[in-house]
Amino acid sequence: MLRGADIVLRCLRAEGADLVFGYPGGAIMPLYDALDGSGVRHILTRHEQGAVFAAEGYARATGKVGVAIATSGPGATNLVTGIADAKMDSVPLVCITGQVRTALIGTDAFQETDVFGLTLSLTKWSRLVRSIQEIPEVIAQAFYWARSGRPGPVMLDLPVDLLKASMEFKGAVKFQPHPKAADAKAELAFTDTLVALLQQAKKPVALVGAGVKLSGAVHELRHLLDHLQIPAFATVHGLGAVRQEAPYYLGMVGMHGTRAANMALHETDLLLVFGARLDDRVTGDPSRFAPEARIVHFEIDPAQLDRVRPCELPVIGDLAETIPAFQEELSRAPLPDWSAWRAIACGRDRAEPEPIGLAQPTKRFLDELFRRLPADSIIVADVGQHQMWAAQRYRSSSPGGFITSGGLGAMGFALPAAIGVQLAKPETTVLCVSGDGGIQMNIQELATVRRLGLPIKIVIVDNKYLGMVRQWQQLFYHRNYAETDLSDNPDFVEIGKAYKIHGQALGEEAVSDISLSASTADVLDGFLRSPEPELLVFECHPEANVFPMVPAGAALSEMMLEEE
Amino acid sequence: MHIFHIRYRNTQGTLMRILTATSRRGIDLPYVQAEPVEHTHKVTLLLDVNAKQVGQLCRDWHAIVDVIDVRPGTPIKELWDQHGSWAVGAPHRPASAVAPADGRVQQASA
Repeated sequence: MLRGADIVLRCLRAEGADLVFGYPGGAIMPLYDALDGSGVRHILTRHEQGAVFAAEGYARATGKVGVAIATSGPGATNLVTGIADAKMDSVPLVCITGQVRTALIGTDAFQETDVFGLTLSLTKWSRLVRSIQEIPEVIAQAFYWARSGRPGPVMLDLPVDLLKASMEFKGAVKFQPHPKAADAKAELAFTDTLVALLQQAKKPVALVGAGVKLSGAVHELRHLLDHLQIPAFATVHGLGAVRQEAPYYLGMVGMHGTRAANMALHETDLLLVFGARLDDRVTGDPSRFAPEARIVHFEIDPAQLDRVRPCELPVIGDLAETIPAFQEELSRAPLPDWSAWRAIACGRDRAEPEPIGLAQPTKRFLDELFRRLPADSIIVADVGQHQMWAAQRYRSSSPGGFITSGGLGAMGFALPAAIGVQLAKPETTVLCVSGDGGIQMNIQELATVRRLGLPIKIVIVDNKYLGMVRQWQQLFYHRNYAETDLSDNPDFVEIGKAYKIHGQALGEEAVSDISLSASTADVLDGFLRSPEPELLVFECHPEANVFPMVPAGAALSEMMLEEE
Repeated sequence: MHIFHIRYRNTQGTLMRILTATSRRGIDLPYVQAEPVEHTHKVTLLLDVNAKQVGQLCRDWHAIVDVIDVRPGTPIKELWDQHGSWAVGAPHRPASAVAPADGRVQQASA
């Protein structure tokens, strides 16, 4: 006979989940009581949101399912932002919450929250478990749905009495889903049509999103693009999927994308989308998005089609299957000469200019830092101006090298996510880039970093504002900096010290010389080489802005550039 | 007004997920009827939606784990058994386009 809590942990092990993140409390106590000797390693964060972001970081770095555990009521509600984040960014995540005992459900008992109802629209699948006998089946289902198709979050709510109850455990089970028409394997009859579209195209481009990485199709995509030699660009989650040195690669596309990428996307007559949702940050004004383009959308999730514009040709299926099928057909088909179009789209006239303006020192700082990183490093960016600067300056061809909260844009993501990444990749250099606003949303996780001795390198780009909001206030709200002033920020180096994390600060003058001073180089080298967690505060100009920028509601061709 | 017939397995939350796909878009639900049908369940919705929303809703509903079938159109019984009735309202069904069957693809190839 085993307790429900023991069965949960055995089933987690059976699903390969040997590392989980969480925070204990009343209704989940039996699970914590059973942890010792279970073979499941639990990481105590200092807030449930830290736990769910750490689980996301772990999942994003490994492709495995991340697991976050919390108690009922406030513990469960504190998971919600992370669940929404995992949904937006297609992260496989299983959240397990304690619930009040079965007899009390629906009575507004102490720490009772209908987390099942709260998360219905955020989860792929969820279950309020009603009997101990269900536990093996629901855990198998939870992991299946988290991983399958377009990955995403699932939720299990476990009443405390079921965790305490006992039954004979016959072993973990394997879940077999009901067959569904939409789950059919990719139909590969699209290839003739797609080749015909390509042969008619005069200005084809490729837009690369996270789906390419999630499908494990990076190699296939690179092979295809090398064959096509058409201008290509990536969303923030697609960064690293295309080889940086490829002559047709134009960098990041969208609101803060490169001019070359946005112009090519605006001018194209055939847009090949590989695993991207085409959200508003990528499209700008939907009615003026790629106005001349026919759209071919490679996507695993049919629900993502036609959200902005109807696509000409949907190619539904795993990109690891559909891209090679397309490639095979292409090898037999003559293609037009697109060199004139390539010369325009990838030409010097549209090349990224050297950074100028108030953001130049910060970009230089990031360039110097990124240049020193080992090739397999992972940058975990928070949300805001520093995130976009980091994305713009990212120059690695490592597909998993840039992790951020892209869809939800959840401030406070980076530090706890970096914990999950570092635990997943203990030998890898993990650089957490945050802002002074974002770091304070989960700054308590410095305690987790210290306790575990994780050698995370934490950069805080401190402009003493909620910078991205302030930038919009400057540009679109007549400089009315309402409630974005953080000039009374704490001394982050002293805060690091309080958590026993070594910290230091650099001002913009440290990167003002044409060749970096020896002292600044020493600081950066020492920061990255340290075997301990390190904190580096970069004091950025308060009114530095992120350019290029496509204002909300504008077309991609209507970028604001630095000199404007 | 459009009528949607959705067959689903009556597992926890499935009907609510179907309904929240409409409520998240601020769409009113003037008529909802859910009932058991043979071994599964069926919910019929009457919604005032445009053509783009029809496509989005159908694909969102299809993505719900225990949804079996989604059919937009008019509530005539014969339509249930009519193969390929996806063409009634949705821009395209949630599967890859097959060249000869899709008008838009034919247009693209022209």
